[in-house]
Amino acid sequence: MIYALVGLRGSIALLLKFAILGATDALLIWIISVALGKNSIILAVVLIAATAALNITYLVKGAVPLKFLIVGILFFSIFVVTPTGYTIIMSGFNYKTGNEIDKPSAIAGVLANGLSTDESGTAYDMFLGKTPSGQWAAILEDQVNHSVVFATTDGVQPIGESEITRNSDGIITAANGIKQLSQDEQATADSEITALRFPLGDNYFASPQGAEVALRMTQVMSYDKTSDTFTNSQTGEVFVDNGKGNFANKADLTQVLDPGWRSFSAFDNYKQLIMDKKVRDPFIGVFVWTIAFAFLSVGTTFAVGMLLALALQNQLRFRRFYRGFLILPYAIPSFMSILIWRGLFNKDYGAINHLLHTHIGWFDGPWTARAAVILVNLWLGFPYMYLISSGALQSIPSELEEAASIDGATGKQAFIAVKLPLLVQILGPLLISSFAYNFNNFNIIYLLTGGGPTDESTGAIAGATDILISYAYKTAFGSTFQNLGLSSAISMMMFFIVGTLSMYTLKKSRVLETL
Amino acid sequence: MSNTVGVRNLWRHVLALILVFFTAFPIYVVIMTSLDPTGGIASDSWLPVKFSFSNYTKLFTDPRIPYLSWMRNSLIIASATAVTSVMIGAASAFAFSRMRFKGRKIGLQALLLVQVFPSFLSLSAIYVIMERIYLVVPALGLGSIWGLYLIYIGGAMGINAWLLKGFLDTIPMELDESARIDGASVPQIYWLIFFPLASPVLAVTAVLSFIGTFNEFVLASLFLQDVDKRTVAVGLQQFVGGQYEQVWGPFAAGSIIASIPLVIIFLSMQRYIIGGLTAGAIKG
Repeated sequence: MIYALVGLRGSIALLLKFAILGATDALLIWIISVALGKNSIILAVVLIAATAALNITYLVKGAVPLKFLIVGILFFSIFVVTPTGYTIIMSGFNYKTGNEIDKPSAIAGVLANGLSTDESGTAYDMFLGKTPSGQWAAILEDQVNHSVVFATTDGVQPIGESEITRNSDGIITAANGIKQLSQDEQATADSEITALRFPLGDNYFASPQGAEVALRMTQVMSYDKTSDTFTNSQTGEVFVDNGKGNFANKADLTQVLDPGWRSFSAFDNYKQLIMDKKVRDPFIGVFVWTIAFAFLSVGTTFAVGMLLALALQNQLRFRRFYRGFLILPYAIPSFMSILIWRGLFNKDYGAINHLLHTHIGWFDGPWTARAAVILVNLWLGFPYMYLISSGALQSIPSELEEAASIDGATGKQAFIAVKLPLLVQILGPLLISSFAYNFNNFNIIYLLTGGGPTDESTGAIAGATDILISYAYKTAFGSTFQNLGLSSAISMMMFFIVGTLSMYTLKKSRVLETL
Repeated sequence: MSNTVGVRNLWRHVLALILVFFTAFPIYVVIMTSLDPTGGIASDSWLPVKFSFSNYTKLFTDPRIPYLSWMRNSLIIASATAVTSVMIGAASAFAFSRMRFKGRKIGLQALLLVQVFPSFLSLSAIYVIMERIYLVVPALGLGSIWGLYLIYIGGAMGINAWLLKGFLDTIPMELDESARIDGASVPQIYWLIFFPLASPVLAVTAVLSFIGTFNEFVLASLFLQDVDKRTVAVGLQQFVGGQYEQVWGPFAAGSIIASIPLVIIFLSMQRYIIGGLTAGAIKG
């Protein structure tokens, strides 16, 4: 009976399988149809591929390993591999604030920015809608002289006051030949509306600013496809592609047009990290502190954890209490402990200043902030080190120590000469992965100090306690300037360092050989 | 004799007691702060000036602090992620451990390498994906806990497959061979032999995944913008982002309540979790 149910051979199991697969298919197909309806082609294609993969895997006989892996592979590819690949690719692009879009969008953006209103800044109140044939149309009422015209994308024609209806405030509420859009239609057509141009003659046109107002404008900046240049018809200036993701004035290359695009820059981001003094100096500072932080974190937590393990390895009064109580920091959610510590270090209200009867801004000075980070990390990390150390201590045969003491070594000597090297050998891989973990320990920096304090005189975003990962985060998602390209390059360097370390550890622990 | 043992043990007690005070310090302050309605301990005494549970009741009554929603969101998302990621991880680990197929070795190495990549730096790419999903199915995209759940599940295979494969490798091959001779199919071997055998390890993996998700902060803070859709981690963090002194009391109360389930889970499964740690976990 139970074999029939679980074995995926009996009829019940088969039914169950088809029910689950069918329900999943139904859900996916529904999402695909919605996606197609909303013109989200990429999503639809990805989901169609996923649906096909699922059904082929589970309906076709054979390929048993894939039946176990496919769900994981699908999620992993969509949410991990794709974004990671994207980040790696972006490290080769000049992708930063002002250069976020692709080139065609940037050209469209420059064209849109290259508009100029007429000299008197003529504006219209607009009653926007569609003609019965589905064409965009509007009644434009000059805000100054209140003349009214009927405008389509083909041009304007006069319209009599008798054909429009106004409310008591004089605002047009209806017009013959125009059906106003509903709120929903308006919201979805937002970008279409702002791109509308109602020609007014003399190279001028009415450009909607939202759904109710339009401005009389003319195109000053024009783009020439064959030479890939922009020309300003008023000043005669010519702008050329500067190869760095912007159109720049031919006469003065420092003058660039907004927006730019994310251009391929090969190794420029990496070069900046090494060559450009403005980027390199903070980077090196952060890099050095990251290494120091990771070493100090592992060193202090391991020292305290190991000492504790030694202290508690033999029968001792209250040992159970010590053990139980001292692993609490490991059990409490770490984000919370960090926030609590942040409160304790608060200058005006914190318990630490209260305890010491001082009034120190711990996070205001670079060295006190760094010390605070190490101290808090010690609190968070020593229980883990204690746990693994005491595990390792138990695995070392006591004969070794006895042999050493017979040879005349004191307890201390025996420990340092015999046990410690063995312990480090046993714990080596764990210490290295702990190093790698702290190397990327974003939470403690971000939640405790936010990377600060920063040097306000230089305006650099890197703070005294920033480690590479928090620096990369700030570089990519900072509040004023975002440089995703540079951030990706920093990520790649971290990836390289941590990846090498991990590979080394795995080689040592022989995991890869037994694959 | 007993005296010398006492003296020899003295340093052990001294060290342990120093660490007990070190460990207890923030915990004590938080508990006292949570019980002090004035919301601070910047007075001369180390005991609350007044004593009341008003900080706790505030959490559940103040409409600006949807603490219950935060807790519910965190518990839902952490449980769902734990269960799903263990299912995915176990199935993947089974395939990697018991079957030989093309691409197996490369697949395992790729899982590991991608895992080493500081993944949340691909945030902006994940953001774009979630935005696309949001436009089609709002319930699974940006701003919803189920969208966040999808992202967490994405990483599940990488983390858990390796962890669980290590354990499955220790189950002797003879076991499945004899089952196969008895006529069991692969799914039968998986569900009837491996699943029960691995259930303690699966439980530990689930607990670790639960704790990890509960603690996750970066993705959650980026994706959950609505105040009542936040997780506890994001809610409490943004809570202290403002006027520290004013909300320190409710924050302390909130963190105590949020910690309790995790501390209980951790302590009750302590033995298994520690076993998993010392078995040479890849991540520290």
